[in-house]
Amino acid sequence: MLRQKYEDVIAQTVVRIMVPFVQLYALYVLAHGHYSPGGGFQGGVILAAALVSIFLVFGYEAALDRLSLKTSVRLCSIGVLVYAGIGFICLLLGGNFLDYGRLAPVLHVAPPKARSLGILGIETGVALTVMAAMYSIIMDVVNSETVSDKADTDDEDKTGEMCSGGE
Amino acid sequence: MKSFFLAVDIFLCLMVFLCLYRVVFGPTLGDRIVATGAIGTKTLTILVIIGFLYGRVEMFLDISLAYALLNFVGTLAAARYFEAKREF
Repeated sequence: MLRQKYEDVIAQTVVRIMVPFVQLYALYVLAHGHYSPGGGFQGGVILAAALVSIFLVFGYEAALDRLSLKTSVRLCSIGVLVYAGIGFICLLLGGNFLDYGRLAPVLHVAPPKARSLGILGIETGVALTVMAAMYSIIMDVVNSETVSDKADTDDEDKTGEMCSGGE
Repeated sequence: MKSFFLAVDIFLCLMVFLCLYRVVFGPTLGDRIVATGAIGTKTLTILVIIGFLYGRVEMFLDISLAYALLNFVGTLAAARYFEAKREF
């Protein structure tokens, strides 16, 4: 499935080597957001850039094999759930919404450490949502503009399937 | 050393305008895309040098790495566009 239409040895090899490092860098940007520029949104964008470069080099179907549109919509919702869930756990523990200090008894750490961990948790949710949303926007735009024009009959039923999955 | 870095930075900024001329008035699409890539590379260098000027290289290195990654994706998109052009 990987070698499909745009077969270019240099681009494919470079992307295959680079994608794990790009994702590792995205995790670094996400986790190191306290001390350097970055955070959830930027990490999510870099994760999405890795997926988009897979799509650009290996083709539409190969990218969907890695992360289908259905899964990406689910990841989008899971990210929001992580964010709001941590906020509501703080609410249940007697604090304000996103009052991370209240998480200290649950996590068995001191309140400052709990604040740090809570922020890391919501940043992870933001990164998941941003990655999935970026990816599905790009794949939807490409799907409506180029792929359906290229192959008329083959992609008709697939497009319908994706649309229903997306909703 | 600081004034040297500042001079290099200003020189690179002027070079960016030369590339910008190619982007705006470039006769072919290839000129525009290559010039955009060159501007991206220059921006990366400018960012690292600004990091040296402010004495916070590690922070600006993160930004320029992310910039380089996104620039790479842009180059890939341009390359694929040309490949598709050749095919049709």
